[in-house]
Parts: sequence; structure tokens; C-alpha cells
Amino acid sequence: MDPLPALIGVSDFVIGLSLGSRLFLIAVGLSLIFGVLGVLNFAHGALYMIGAYAALTVTNHAIDNFWVAVIVGALVVGLVGVLIEIGTIRPLYDRLEAELDQLIVTFGFVLIIHEVVRTIWGSQPYDVDNPAILDFSVSIGGNTFGAYRLVIIGAGFVVMVGLWLFITKTYFGALVRGTSSDREMASMLGLDVPRLYTMVFFLGSALAGLGGALSAPLQSTSPALGEQVIIDAFIVVVIGGLGSMIGAFVGAMLVGLMQAIGPQFIAAGHIAIPFLAMIVVLIARPEGLFGGFGE
Amino acid sequence: MSTADDGLASRIRAFGRQATRSGWTRERFVLLGLVALVLIGFGPSFQVFLFTEFLIIALFALGFNLLYGYTGMLSFGHALFFAGGSYGLAIVIRNLQPSVADAIGSGPAPLATFLLGGVVGIALVLVIAVPVGWLSVRLAEIYFALITLAFGMLGYSLIIQDPGGLTNGTDGLVILLQTAEIGGVEVSLGDRRTYYFVTLAVVLVSMYALRRIVSSHFGTICRAVRESPDRASALGVNVTYHQWVTFLVSALFVGIAGVLMAGFASVASPSHSHWTQSAIPVIATVIGGATFFSGPIVGAFVFLYARWGISRFPALEARWELVFGVIIVFVVLFFKVGAAGGLIMLHAWLREVREVYDQEGTAAAAVFIRESIAEKAGLIRDRILSPVLTGSAKGGGDR
Repeated sequence: MDPLPALIGVSDFVIGLSLGSRLFLIAVGLSLIFGVLGVLNFAHGALYMIGAYAALTVTNHAIDNFWVAVIVGALVVGLVGVLIEIGTIRPLYDRLEAELDQLIVTFGFVLIIHEVVRTIWGSQPYDVDNPAILDFSVSIGGNTFGAYRLVIIGAGFVVMVGLWLFITKTYFGALVRGTSSDREMASMLGLDVPRLYTMVFFLGSALAGLGGALSAPLQSTSPALGEQVIIDAFIVVVIGGLGSMIGAFVGAMLVGLMQAIGPQFIAAGHIAIPFLAMIVVLIARPEGLFGGFGE
Repeated sequence: MSTADDGLASRIRAFGRQATRSGWTRERFVLLGLVALVLIGFGPSFQVFLFTEFLIIALFALGFNLLYGYTGMLSFGHALFFAGGSYGLAIVIRNLQPSVADAIGSGPAPLATFLLGGVVGIALVLVIAVPVGWLSVRLAEIYFALITLAFGMLGYSLIIQDPGGLTNGTDGLVILLQTAEIGGVEVSLGDRRTYYFVTLAVVLVSMYALRRIVSSHFGTICRAVRESPDRASALGVNVTYHQWVTFLVSALFVGIAGVLMAGFASVASPSHSHWTQSAIPVIATVIGGATFFSGPIVGAFVFLYARWGISRFPALEARWELVFGVIIVFVVLFFKVGAAGGLIMLHAWLREVREVYDQEGTAAAAVFIRESIAEKAGLIRDRILSPVLTGSAKGGGDR
């Protein structure tokens, strides 16, 4: 990391971190669900998008309180996730090609959610104002940043630490880790594995919703959002390691910095860098930089 | 002149008599199909247009399914090869048409350039597929899907940002198919009907080739690899090598479809390289049934014609994604044989009905129909409704 600060400005660094935090909020639920259930949820980006729409609907039509909207967004998306899991993913665990079938089913939900969102909210993009309390700028090293950008960075760290404590220190976290490493054994010890799976799917989906709602002020929300962010999320979880929480965090920060700094090194072709990184990691180290969940 | 006509007419009549007497043999069915396909070329011009697109997507999905249905590898990056064919053709037509005209004269030049572009497009696809496939087949299942997705999006980023100055960024490469003149006959590939027949010929030959491939030893090994890579390996199959070669063959046919698409759409568009384009053969194949050779063809037909049908109803317009999403979820959960499998089952059932009718008459046939429908309904009730209603199908964890 030593030569980097010389090459890149503080401004790029902060922007990179905020992009990274947003990516982490998108990707962490995807990684959690894959780590425990072995399901690669193609609809994760679509769920993220529902979070953003739910939040902007609450602030525009119900209560003009951004934080309530964020919580509502997370819960709504969590419930949608539960419906998807119970209705369409649970019947497939026993199949020979369960992973590919589940990937295709969740891809079906990409189409469904995309269309439902368009039906309800239309095709036009929406913007969400920064929460009033954070509508000011902060100056760091001569550069000014919107306070909300810094809050997103904070939120990324808070979610990371909170989830880590939850997984490593609580009883539920122990159940999750146990099931993740040996499903049959957990089941034999009397654990209701399908119910635990549904709960983890709820948690992962709610994290997607939380990310979508929190990011709403930083992006314009349109039906194309889902298919953009799912690709970002795939890049992040592959680089960090599918199923690894710390990997999702490090991967997200790396990709965020790549996106912030990339254009200065390679003007034409910089959007290819994350895909190149993804390919290199898949070939050289398919388990990602941090293989394994909760380690 | 008239004797020749009489001969033809009487032969057609004889053919018809034989067909009605001894049933539809495979050859007669193929012949009838070919006649129908040629007749479509003279139909309303929008139908010709739609059917051309269907043929191209069908070939795209068939090429994809060689890898997915036959070898068990789900690629989410085949748009790379589709776009590769498109851009190969477009780059040649835009840059080399004058040189070709200098070399062989301006009359046949447009046709020759198209052929050259097609060859270059396919060669380009193979040049890309050799390293991409070699690296990708090292990974299995979800990881294979992810790496092909990454390669596809890498190609998309390069096309969009155009560091080499070849692809014209987000606008894509517009191509104009000019009229060729060979020996006093004008051939215009830009004409929808002419292009339909070109597409039809190329797609039929490609389908026949694919059909031969999947029923050869090569195809048998593909299925062995799909069922169990370990056992195939134990039987002496070099699994990775075989997957790589299958990847190349698959990319080749997808590249041909891409070449045809560029001529059809008159543009090599970057949207043809986006991952949502890679999803089209997935949708078509899953809907049609991946385990049947005809599955992707039926699926592509459903994909294009259902979309067209939906667009006729203003209330449903642009709701086609929802419809396909629901169909995909349903098919994967309950009906993995897909639409092609459904048709085959329907055909078998109709034969049974016919047999009962021939042997025991109308009343018995009616009873048979009623009973088998009741049986199917019971199956649907048990397999679909009750798990949904009780909300606890077969649990995931307890086995």
C-alpha cells in the first residue's frame, strides 16, 4: 500500500472507499447465502433494487424519514427473499444439479422482479435526496465530500463488524457456521436445517435491501439498476471468495478503488479491469482471496 | 412442357396417396417441412422477418445447448461469440469492400465480401474461443458460469470502450448490404426474402451438422461427461480436453448465428455482447427443454413468437419478461423436459388415444381421455399444489 497514496489523491481514495462500501453492502448478502446454502442467487441485484424502490416510496408517500425507509426497505426485501426461498429454492436442494437449477430459477426471478418493478414504478429514474441531517459537506485534505458519502463508508464498516460479531459470537451464528461446514451433521444433531436456511436467506436478502435503500441517495434508481449491480456483486464475491464475509469486504474495497483509480491509468478500457481481475482470481485461486465462510 | 407438369402432378398425387395410406414417414415429414419453410419465404414480409430472427436465435441456442444440455456446462458468456461473429462480419464489410471490388470486380463484390466477412467472423470467434475455452473448462458448475460471464463482460467492456479503434463504441458498426450482380442476375442480401433464404440454408446445414455431432461418438462422450466427469475420466476420456473441444464447437455455431444476426439487423451492436444477450439462449433452452436436440429450437420459437403475441395486446405490452420469468421458474421446478418434452409426451398420449379408439371405439376412447387427464391432474395436485399450500415440500436438510 505504500506507493499508492503517492500515486492517488485523497479524493480518489475516499471515493474508492465509498464505492467499495456500497459494493460491500450489495455483495455481502450474496456471499452469505452462497456460503451457507450453496445457492448463487442471481436475483440478488434485483432484490437490492427493490430495497431502493421501497425506500424511495416510503420517503415520498408515507413518512419522510430516511432511516425508517431504510429499515422498511430491508424488511420488505427480506420477506420477498423468504418467499422465493420457500417457494422455489427449497424444493431443489436434493437435485443432482441443484446449483445450476437454483441459478436458473433465481435468474427467472431477475426477469420477474425487473418487470414487476417496471409495472409499479415505471421506467423513469428516481432520485432520492440525502437525508436532511446529512445534507452538508466535509472537507478532508483540501477536498470536499458530501457527508452522506462518508456515512456510507461508515455503514459498510458497521455492517461488516456487526455481521462478524453476529456470526462469531452469537448462538445463531454458531448454528450458521456449523450448518455451513456440515449440513448432514447439523441435521443429525436435531437442527431444523430448512428453517435455518430460510432465516439465512432472509438475512442475506435483507442485507441486499439495506444496501439498496442506503445507496438510494447516491444513485439514480431505475429498472436497469438490478442487472448492473448483480454483475458488480459477482465480481466482488468472486475476488473476495464466494461465501467469505471478510472476502466480500476486501473484494468490495479493492473493486471500489479500481473503479475510482482505474480511469487515470487506462483511459480507454478501464471498465474491463474488474472483469480481468475476476478472471485472474477464478483461474489462479477459484476459492478467492479469502476462501471459506466466517474465517 | 405439359408432359413434365403432368409427370410432376401425378407424382405429387401418388406421394399424397402413399402418405395417407402408410402414414408419415420421416422422409415425407422432412420433405413437407422443407416445403413449408420455403413457402414461409413468400409470406407477409413481417412474418419473414420474424421467422429469420427465430432461425438465428434457434441456432444460437442450439450451439449453446451443445455445452449446457449435452455436456452439463452452463455458460453465461456466449454473447461473446455471438458478438464476435457480428463484429467480424461488420468490420470486413465496412473496411474491405473496396479492396474486394478491386480484386474480383464490383459485380459480385458485395456477396464475396459477405462471404469473406462470415469466414473472418467465424475465424475471429475461434481465435477468441481457443484461450477462453481452455481457461474456462478448468472450472465446473457455478464457477464455469461465473468465468464465462466474466469473459463475456470483458468482451463487452472492450467493445464499449473500444481501445483498439475497431468497434465504434456504444453506437456499434452499421453495415449496408449492397446489391451484387453476377452474370446479369441481381442478388440483394439486403432484401428480407433473399436474406431469409440465405439464413434458412445456413441454419439448416448447421442444424444438420450439430445433429450429426450429437449423435456421433463425440456426442456420446459429451453425455458421459455430463452424467459423471469422474466415470468418463475413468473410462479413459480426457475430460478437460473434451470439454474444451466441445466449447470450441459450441462457440463456432454461436459465431455463425452472430454473423447472420449482423446481416439481419444491419448492425453489429454492443448490446449483442452484453450478458443479457447471453441469457437469451439460456431462456430459450430452459423453456424448450435442454435434454432434447429440438428443445432450443422449440424454445427459440416460443421466445420470439410469445414475445410477438404478447406485444399484440397493449395491456400486456412489454410484460414478456414477466411471462418468461414465470415460465422458467415453473419449468425448472416441475417440468424439466420443457416444451419439446411436452410435445413429445403429447404426441405419445395422442397415439395411445388413437390406439384405444381403433380397438374399442369412441366410448372407450372418451373414457381413456377422461381417466388419463384425471391422473395428470392428480399428479399436478400432489406435486405442485400441496407442497405450496403446506409450505414445506421435501425439506432440504434432512437427507
